[in-house]
Amino acid sequence: MSTRINIGPVHPSTHGVLRLVVDVDGDTVKNVEPHIGFLHRGVEKLVETRMYMQCPPYMEKLDYVAPLSYDEAYVATVEAALGIEVKERAQYVRLIELELQRIASHLFFLGALCNDMGQMFTMFMWVFEDRDRVLELLQEATGQRMFYVNMRLGGVTMDLPPDFGENCMKLLSHLEKRIGEYQRYLEKNPVFMERTKGIGVLSAEDAKSLGVAGPVLRASGISYDVRKAKPYYVYEKLNFHVAVEHGCDNFARYRIRIMELRESIRLIRDALKKMPDGDALGASIKLIGPPAKNKIVTVSRELPRGECMMYMVSDPQRPYRLSIRSPCFVNLAALNHIAKGERLADLFSIMGSLDLVMACVDR
Amino acid sequence: MIDNIIFSIVSTWQGWLNGSSLLFYGIAILIYAIFILIVTSIFAYIFGWVERKLIAKIQHRHGPTFVGKFGILQNLADLVKLLSKEHITPDNADRILLTIGPILMLAVTTFMVLLLPFSPTLQATNLGLGLLLIFVLIAFLPIIVFLAGFSTGNKFADISAQRSVLMLISYEIPLLVVVAAIALLSGTYSISGIVSAQAASHWYILLMPIGFVVFFITMLAEMERPPFDLREADSELIAGWLTDYSGPYYALALFIDYTRMFLASLIIALLFFGGWSGPLLPPLAWLLIKAFIIALFTIIIRATTVRMRIDRILRLGWTWLLPLSLLNLILVYILFVA
Repeated sequence: MSTRINIGPVHPSTHGVLRLVVDVDGDTVKNVEPHIGFLHRGVEKLVETRMYMQCPPYMEKLDYVAPLSYDEAYVATVEAALGIEVKERAQYVRLIELELQRIASHLFFLGALCNDMGQMFTMFMWVFEDRDRVLELLQEATGQRMFYVNMRLGGVTMDLPPDFGENCMKLLSHLEKRIGEYQRYLEKNPVFMERTKGIGVLSAEDAKSLGVAGPVLRASGISYDVRKAKPYYVYEKLNFHVAVEHGCDNFARYRIRIMELRESIRLIRDALKKMPDGDALGASIKLIGPPAKNKIVTVSRELPRGECMMYMVSDPQRPYRLSIRSPCFVNLAALNHIAKGERLADLFSIMGSLDLVMACVDR
Repeated sequence: MIDNIIFSIVSTWQGWLNGSSLLFYGIAILIYAIFILIVTSIFAYIFGWVERKLIAKIQHRHGPTFVGKFGILQNLADLVKLLSKEHITPDNADRILLTIGPILMLAVTTFMVLLLPFSPTLQATNLGLGLLLIFVLIAFLPIIVFLAGFSTGNKFADISAQRSVLMLISYEIPLLVVVAAIALLSGTYSISGIVSAQAASHWYILLMPIGFVVFFITMLAEMERPPFDLREADSELIAGWLTDYSGPYYALALFIDYTRMFLASLIIALLFFGGWSGPLLPPLAWLLIKAFIIALFTIIIRATTVRMRIDRILRLGWTWLLPLSLLNLILVYILFVA
């Protein structure tokens, strides 16, 4: 006999406003039906009524955990439509900021995952301490704490402050220590291991056919990262690996984030070392000139949650059409496949391991 | 000291009433029960505050600071808030069961506290089978949770009620096997007898560490403490069987939570840590101190671990706790009895 329960949109662990209609047989999940759209604001339509550079603030609100990455993806799309190059120093600055944002986002993931598995917010508080320091560093670099709007065409609004490198290095070694601590703390906890190993298996074939993105894809053993596959900025000049796990389960999805945190730290260190002097400031669109009419560009970027693709049809005044392929949306679509047959308690840890941001799903 | 005061109050009353002994006994029990309820409430209150502060410390927060010095009055403020709220009975709830569920639970829990001895003299009754009676009554708690959970007509509460019964069958047997080992070791079922047996030899935590581990884990599960708080698993079941309780009943449920914690730490202190034995301080103080330290450990466990899953608890109960408890029984028999 199966019971149909309604979870959300207001529920302690639905990551914002997600509604799930779940059929359970006792404690076993038979079917999950996500109902989305509670945070739909029609951004894709909205940008059609705005000038090009009025849009980045809207883009940032698509992912409130890692706003800068969406900002950058959009500005890169406009740059592609204009056909301009980003200044070399600005490429490094952007890369450093993006990777810091990735660190902040993945730290958030660790806390949310433990929360979904029933911990009393302890991990959440710990990672927020670290995340706060990352945000402070980003604030130093951009002047804002949460929604940065730091990207300009061909560069950034603010170059890094003079003591940024030193502060950043200090923070990175602190983070490295803390990440090691978290890893020891979690992986030596038998309950955590029991709750993650072998739970929510998504095989490589299924991952491919469902089209999941980012860390979820890489946790299924498929080595695909936009930063390596279609390198942008100076990623190909820097030293880093694509983190791949072959476990396909919750543990692999947790582990991949830990590995990516380490890789990001490595990337930032390398970038700080290799960063050239010079000008990093971007220009106004008025100085560059309007993009051509009906030029179609697609830009794909590796966000902390996976591959985001922006498709834009340009117009001299404003974007004629913008379509966003959201990584969270495709990952949420795989939820039913992953969670079917698992325990009700694991449904939430699986959702935590997918690292959903509902604003990104609903757009 | 306190037992003397109670005794003198009761004997004064007996003088007034020209004592029929049944009436005398009834009044004495009543006064004792009120006293125990006060002790329980104070313990529950302090425990609630310490829990908040300690968890906050572990999480690098401040915890309550605003109401009273160091936020000591925060729980009182919460209580006032909850009491002033409306109690909403859902349409498809069983009104009677919904109402008596928490009350019954509080009654059973306080009754069990009442049955425990607090010092050689401060005890309601020295039952010869006190140990067995306590553990019979403890098995009632999940059943009351089951009733209360089903009575609300909420689906989350339903799942919580089912889990409650599943948990009951997973740890009740290891618990009773450890209790059997304790009885075997001390040669008595009376709890004060067990305490004096520990005073004569060693604390039972030293004599049967395996038994203690099993007992501690099962008591955590019994009292719904994390990582076994599956019945009110907030990340999945919102508040489990408490989902549809609101206002004063929710306050009552929280109070029961802390009372159960008091009960569990008292039982552990009495059975494994030599009860009230200790130098200098009066027996009651020693017992409460020991109980409190045990309760602190459960707070640390609560703050740091993730929740277990229901089928894993069953597996833990049957593949680890039961064999370990039997091993403990055999070891106790071979080493100390035979």
